[in-house]
Amino acid sequence: MRQFLTLLAKEEKALFTSPIAYVLIAVFLLIMGYSFTLALFVSHTMTLVHMFFQIFTLFLLTVPIITMRLIAEERKLRTMEVLLTSPVTETRIVLAKFAASMSLILLMLILSAAYPIVLAIYGDPDWGPIFSGYLGLVLFAGALVGVGLLTSALTNNQIIAALLSLSIFLLLWIIDEYGHILPDPFDSLLVNMSLSVHFKPFATGSLYLTDVAYFLSAAMLSLFLSVRALAWR
Amino acid sequence: MRAPVVDVQNLVKWYGPRLAVRDVSFSVAEGEVVGLLGPNGSGKSTIFRILTGYLVPTSGSAAVAGRDATTESLALRHQVGYVPEDAPLYDHMRVNEHLQFMANLKGLFGRSATLAIGTVAERLQLQTMAQVPVGKLSRGYRQRVAIGQALLNDPKLLIFDEPTSGLDPSQVIAIRDLIRELAGKRTVLMASHVLPEIEQIANRVMILLNGRLLTTDALAQAVDGQRLRLQVAGPEPMVREAIAAVPGVRSIVLEPESGGSGLRYLVEADQRPEVAQELAAALVGRGLALSELTTVRPDLERIFLQLTRQPSEAAA
Repeated sequence: MRQFLTLLAKEEKALFTSPIAYVLIAVFLLIMGYSFTLALFVSHTMTLVHMFFQIFTLFLLTVPIITMRLIAEERKLRTMEVLLTSPVTETRIVLAKFAASMSLILLMLILSAAYPIVLAIYGDPDWGPIFSGYLGLVLFAGALVGVGLLTSALTNNQIIAALLSLSIFLLLWIIDEYGHILPDPFDSLLVNMSLSVHFKPFATGSLYLTDVAYFLSAAMLSLFLSVRALAWR
Repeated sequence: MRAPVVDVQNLVKWYGPRLAVRDVSFSVAEGEVVGLLGPNGSGKSTIFRILTGYLVPTSGSAAVAGRDATTESLALRHQVGYVPEDAPLYDHMRVNEHLQFMANLKGLFGRSATLAIGTVAERLQLQTMAQVPVGKLSRGYRQRVAIGQALLNDPKLLIFDEPTSGLDPSQVIAIRDLIRELAGKRTVLMASHVLPEIEQIANRVMILLNGRLLTTDALAQAVDGQRLRLQVAGPEPMVREAIAAVPGVRSIVLEPESGGSGLRYLVEADQRPEVAQELAAALVGRGLALSELTTVRPDLERIFLQLTRQPSEAAA
């Protein structure tokens, strides 16, 4: 555990000493603040549904930037050789990188809590969909970070890692659009692979075990494959 | 007999379609300092990466202190201190932070980590650099940090991969001295393509070519003939005539710095033990005063160049 905390501290430091984290947080808050304010003043509705969908899209676009360097950079700079010739398992390295990236995501989500707080101060929002929306975003981000970590483990070029994960995310985002036109059972297969299909219920206040399982299994499978990719050398 | 610290048997490593290490076997006894010599791409780093648990061999086995590189990789890594080529380090960390990080990874925490870092920093003269970010260090200090992290948990085996590459001459001397000092107590494996370095530090040298370790036979074959140095007083033509008369003598060269009581000649002859005796007899028999007759140790550089020029023949 102490070794894991050492690795986590190192990842956190690497993440938060680079300007990328701050730029991402700033951009995230700027866009969220703009749309929240606009939506609130124009529609006068006490809901955060539109905000959750916006965060969903922002995560699709920003998670590749957070995860691209995780392993690819260490491979390129050969610091992975330093790590993996020390008595450390690949699993610990991958989990530390995952946890550090998730901490940045969680920080963004915590900062976005200003919006529900504003709603609570000036009105009486329905907390159910807000909690489920946040839970959905955390699970969704976990799956994205897992996949991003995997693509970073497959190459030592950060740009390729980012493009690869972005392509996967975009494909899984829109995969259900064309799924409906396929014959059975391919239609349901493609629809069930969709990120947005599984996220929608969370944002609108419905909680299904299948959606939780979808994001959890995507995260776990990609973390497992990342460990294998790191061990394959 | 004590078990060797390093035991490599029939090691083979393929990188996709490329064979990087071909059936390499060797062992290193405790306290030995062994140099691995070979041109770039000969497989030195691959062997080291297998011995540090970073790479998995395609076939064969490699063990350090009885720990197998494939099945007991983590336990093996506790036994090895590795200084990779070009010292890859985390540039954003300060020197003491980096050492602390590596100490923690090696399972040292709290007081034991502080103690280990203090000892290493003192030994490698890193105290004044403790707060400097690694990315801002000179190449020499960077190498010291890399060596420092390898020493933290006092490993049984130290592995240096091209430890002086990219250093300026004064740094090269400092790092060489350091390795020599460290080698006094530990088992050391060191790779280099710089011959004098290996010759100065190692007490045994292995030559690696195209992923294959050259056998003693191959080396003996490569040492084609012998060289003898003679100091003889007397007229040069007469001396040359006497030397040339000995069967097996191939060439006679007058050494440029020779002078004083006699001239110094470098004689190349066939690999026959009697040549020296016959040379002495021939010179003394002609009444020439022979004041020195020594065999010039086979020059590793000569062997190395000879072998690397004809890699296919040498490795065959």
